[in-house]
Amino acid sequence: MALSLTHKIESHTVRVRKWPLKGYPMGIDLESFKPAYEKWVEESLPDYRAGNFEEIIKKYPLIVSDGVPWTPYKGRPSEQTFALVTSGGLYLKDSQPPFDIGSIHGDTSFREIPKTVRQEELGIAHAHYDHGLAEQDINTIFPIHRFIELEEEGIVGKVAETHYSFSYVNDVVTLVTETVPRFLSRIKAAGVDVLFLVPV
Amino acid sequence: MGLIQRMAEESGFPTISMGNAADRMAHIKPPRALLVKFARGSMFGEPGNVKRQRRILLDALEALKTMTQPGTIQELPYQWKRPDPE
Repeated sequence: MALSLTHKIESHTVRVRKWPLKGYPMGIDLESFKPAYEKWVEESLPDYRAGNFEEIIKKYPLIVSDGVPWTPYKGRPSEQTFALVTSGGLYLKDSQPPFDIGSIHGDTSFREIPKTVRQEELGIAHAHYDHGLAEQDINTIFPIHRFIELEEEGIVGKVAETHYSFSYVNDVVTLVTETVPRFLSRIKAAGVDVLFLVPV
Repeated sequence: MGLIQRMAEESGFPTISMGNAADRMAHIKPPRALLVKFARGSMFGEPGNVKRQRRILLDALEALKTMTQPGTIQELPYQWKRPDPE
């Protein structure tokens, strides 16, 4: 499968690459992306500090992909282990630090959320969506309790013991080179078969 | 989130994701996704609508089995504060 990537900053195309290429995770030419991203950070800081998020999103050095990575789904849900991933900025109020909601880079870390979590144990650290509905019912963005019911009914084989939350991220370089590989090694070690991802 | 999903899929994990903006999804190209008509911050509809949350999860399990083409996006019919179709 060939995937060409185009990094754009405003209307200027930085470079096009094909993947798979060694040293280019997901075909992302990080050496081209880095200066485009650094320029974006420098130019966007005044707007970011003023809260003009729509403006800075328009100027973000987009990564445009042609192809789609694919792992065929095999087997039956009733025999598999599922893990949830949210980008809603969830963390355990009593034992985990909140995500950094001040930096223009966002926060590239993730939090591990236990299967047994209760609504009142969760905090939300994400400055770019309305938390009102999730604060009433966390299942609107992180349907852990519905998944557990499906497990109890035998429709889903197993709900993993640990689930994952990310938050707002602009720093794709750190995300792709450090955070996601660490995340993938965790879910491999946990015996997860299928991921269900819920962005906000 | 799109990058995380794509890297997971590339690493051998089948995935399915939710989305609510067709234009953004066309850009991100998730491997498998369900598209809902709900606003940001509530991909599963109204708080407390247990039946709908469950239906969407069942839709996702079904989509895992039936989607065979990379980049398939299925639109779900549910609408905010309206009854689910039969």
